[in-house]
Amino acid sequence: MVNVEQGSGRVPRFKLKKGLILLLLVFVLSFPPGNAWRVGSSVRTRPITISIVPKSLDNPMLIEAKEAAELTARRLNVKLEWIGPFKVDVETQIKIVEGLIRRKVDGIAVSCSDAERLRPVIDKAVAAGIKVATMEADAPESNRLFYCGTDNYAAGVECGKAMVRIVTAKGWADRELNTVILTGSTKAHDLNERIRGFKAATAGRIKLNYRTLLVCGEDTTTAAKEVEAYLKKHPETDAFFFTGGWAFLGPPEAMPVYDQWCQNGGITVAMDTSYPVLQAALRGFAQALVGPDYRKMGEFTVSYLVCAIKDLPIPSAFIDTGIELADESNFSQLLQTKKPWDIK
Amino acid sequence: MKKAMTAAGKFLGQTFRIKSLRTKFIISFTGLILIPLLLLAFLSYYTYLEILQQNVRTYTETVINRVERNLQIYLSDLERILDLRNDYYILQFLKLSMIDDIEGNQKYTYRLWENLNNIKKYKTDLRDVAIITLKGVKIGCYGLTNVDLSQNELFQILANRTAQDNTMAIYGPHDDWLGGKVFSVGCAIYGDYDNFLGIMLIDVELDLLARICRDIRLGKTGYVTLVDQNGQIIFHPQPELIGKSVGLLLGNPVGESWRSGYYTYGNRVIMGKTLPMTQWSIIGISDRTELIAEMTTVARISFALIAGSIIAVILVALLLSGVLTKPLKELQSSMQAAAENLNTVVPVRTYDEIGQLGQAFNQMLSQIRQLMRQSVQEQKKLRQIEMRALQEQIKPHFIYNTLEVIIGLLETNQNEDVIKMVEALGAFFRISLSQGRELIRIKEEVDHVRNYLYIQKLRHGEKYDYRFEVEDGITHYKTLKLLLQPLVENAIYHGVRSTESNDGLIVIKGYRAEETICFEVVDNGRGMPAEMVETINRSLRGECAEEQERYGFGLRNVHERIVLAFGQEYGLWLTSTLNQGTKAVLRLPLIE
Repeated sequence: MVNVEQGSGRVPRFKLKKGLILLLLVFVLSFPPGNAWRVGSSVRTRPITISIVPKSLDNPMLIEAKEAAELTARRLNVKLEWIGPFKVDVETQIKIVEGLIRRKVDGIAVSCSDAERLRPVIDKAVAAGIKVATMEADAPESNRLFYCGTDNYAAGVECGKAMVRIVTAKGWADRELNTVILTGSTKAHDLNERIRGFKAATAGRIKLNYRTLLVCGEDTTTAAKEVEAYLKKHPETDAFFFTGGWAFLGPPEAMPVYDQWCQNGGITVAMDTSYPVLQAALRGFAQALVGPDYRKMGEFTVSYLVCAIKDLPIPSAFIDTGIELADESNFSQLLQTKKPWDIK
Repeated sequence: MKKAMTAAGKFLGQTFRIKSLRTKFIISFTGLILIPLLLLAFLSYYTYLEILQQNVRTYTETVINRVERNLQIYLSDLERILDLRNDYYILQFLKLSMIDDIEGNQKYTYRLWENLNNIKKYKTDLRDVAIITLKGVKIGCYGLTNVDLSQNELFQILANRTAQDNTMAIYGPHDDWLGGKVFSVGCAIYGDYDNFLGIMLIDVELDLLARICRDIRLGKTGYVTLVDQNGQIIFHPQPELIGKSVGLLLGNPVGESWRSGYYTYGNRVIMGKTLPMTQWSIIGISDRTELIAEMTTVARISFALIAGSIIAVILVALLLSGVLTKPLKELQSSMQAAAENLNTVVPVRTYDEIGQLGQAFNQMLSQIRQLMRQSVQEQKKLRQIEMRALQEQIKPHFIYNTLEVIIGLLETNQNEDVIKMVEALGAFFRISLSQGRELIRIKEEVDHVRNYLYIQKLRHGEKYDYRFEVEDGITHYKTLKLLLQPLVENAIYHGVRSTESNDGLIVIKGYRAEETICFEVVDNGRGMPAEMVETINRSLRGECAEEQERYGFGLRNVHERIVLAFGQEYGLWLTSTLNQGTKAVLRLPLIE
């Protein structure tokens, strides 16, 4: 199930149909004779190189985006690079972008682990004539060409709505619930937007008492450990909101306390509908999921960067890749549509 | 020129003539200490210099060997890491990359990222660990990138090797794509049929070299630098020199000799060694001026020690010479005092040679005093004898008889003879007195006897005659006065007058015998028996009993005066033959 929702209004919306038309245009343009392409009076003799800079390499959440991007690049006959720090590290991300500027790649897409810190280097790349976009996590204040990803505020709102539904169904609407948010980073724009949307959607509808904000650095192992440790200390916790599915990417056996807590009626709403997250949800680790479409992120990012490099118009500064909603009613059905990662 | 040098030598000799025993002692003592000290300092200086240079060389060699060992260990570790290139996931990745299986390769991509990053964590200096495929895809610690294989030196080196020559290759230093300075090592990856699949490489931060070499100091300013196979500096304590030609350090043009061995270049002492694995050269550069400065310090210390030693030696020499020469100075002062006062006694405080000298000097003074006392006594005795000899000259009987003769001559109007007689008597007494002089010329002594004989001849008539045989050559010499007259008197009264005949003859002889003067008074008178002659001669030498000395008082007087004046080897002795005559012989020294 794929729903295209209206976002917060901060970013201009982009209609999926329109995007697909443009993609077709890019597809047509991607086969120039002899892979040579004329821009002005200069003739390009080397293939287009696009570099995507994720927040980290060890986060498999973007594996689908990477695969889609690579397939798109091959289809468009451009070279794709996937370069990032192994763990979330904005300094290394900055160095990487600096390196890409030196190497004079044609296009860069950055998933910003810290929007503010990355803004200058993004602007520097833009000033150097490189087509720069953001993907998954935006740096809206920068001069990037466009942002391709989920409307994270809207995604957060969907998560909030799901939480309201579940709490109401449980008859806990009037009860003050000890709620904990797990996020990857306090600096990442996408994650902060999800939290903002979540809080906005739940405010006034249910009584969530936010006890703490756990930060895992978008590391799967750390995420599971943080949750386990917190629940050991605070078994009175009623609900979790995970801004990403990191805690569910490891083996479920690694979270026995959480498992027990879930069996005792704990509520969890999480962002992400990837294969292992759906598996965990089926096990009872989450009652509702809101997932970005990572494949589209990879595919659209490459496609529109190629458009930009070839001086073709970009339909919008926000390429919305949409979201998908999942709950206990469609976890199994959705899982059937996903491909196992098989990377661990 | 020669004259000038001689004059200068004389001037210096006179100027620096050392008169003081103490000064000689100080100079000798200082010289004795100073010469071996200077030799020791000289030898020590050069021995220390040699040892220092050897130590610098040994230390530099040790340092370079240590750097080489550290680098080799590090490179060996990298070589072992590169052995992971045949890991299953790497090979799978390479194979799937070859067939462009994007979906199938996701699993290996993520696995490799994790594995390569785990390797990177083992060593902090690793910048990247990566695999490069034949299609120019590079998977490393920072993800997937594309590489222009034709521009990748390391890939080209390894691609041009065979599977049998699959050793580690090294390239760099160079900038990596993140803008850092690195050097790269790598090995080729071969498939099951020795088909070349790609390479595994490790980028190492150039700071590693700094970490190995940075804190190494050769002396105060010496250091270790690393130079690659192209002569480019890859490490230097001054980062701005990295990447420059080694000629900047060693001077242009630069050959290859610096890569190994030990030599000096200007003020630099250089030792080089080349790593066979990388062809990098480790070069230790020390500053010779530091050695010289250190040696200057040593020289200064030596000079200060020598100067201090000289001062100490002079002080000790002054002290010792003072201690040693003080008795000598006292002795000298005592001797000077003794020149004015023979009763001076040298204080003897030690029993060494100087003490013995003082004792000997005291003994000598004592003997001098005794001799002086003896001399005074002898002089006194000599005066007494002389007085007696004079008394003998003016015996009343002689004067009375002589005056009788003069009266007789006057009565017989022999005025001419009276005059001669009176003149002879006057001359006789004048010479006897001789104005108090003890020594008179032989001529005067002979004239004195001649006057005496003239007077006596007038008195005694034709009873005897006399003759003088005195060599003219001796008359200017001096003799004690009144020596011959007693002998002539004896010859008259005990010789020629006591005979019956009137042909008595007295001969007075005077001659020089070698270095002596001899007088003989010979008469042909009564003579004496041998026993009497023997008694008289013994009496003359003081060998007779006192009662026997009544014989020949006048002769003894003569003999004693000669002995007192001139010594035992001179004197008087008699020879006589009964009824034939007597000869009295005087032996005197030559006195001008």
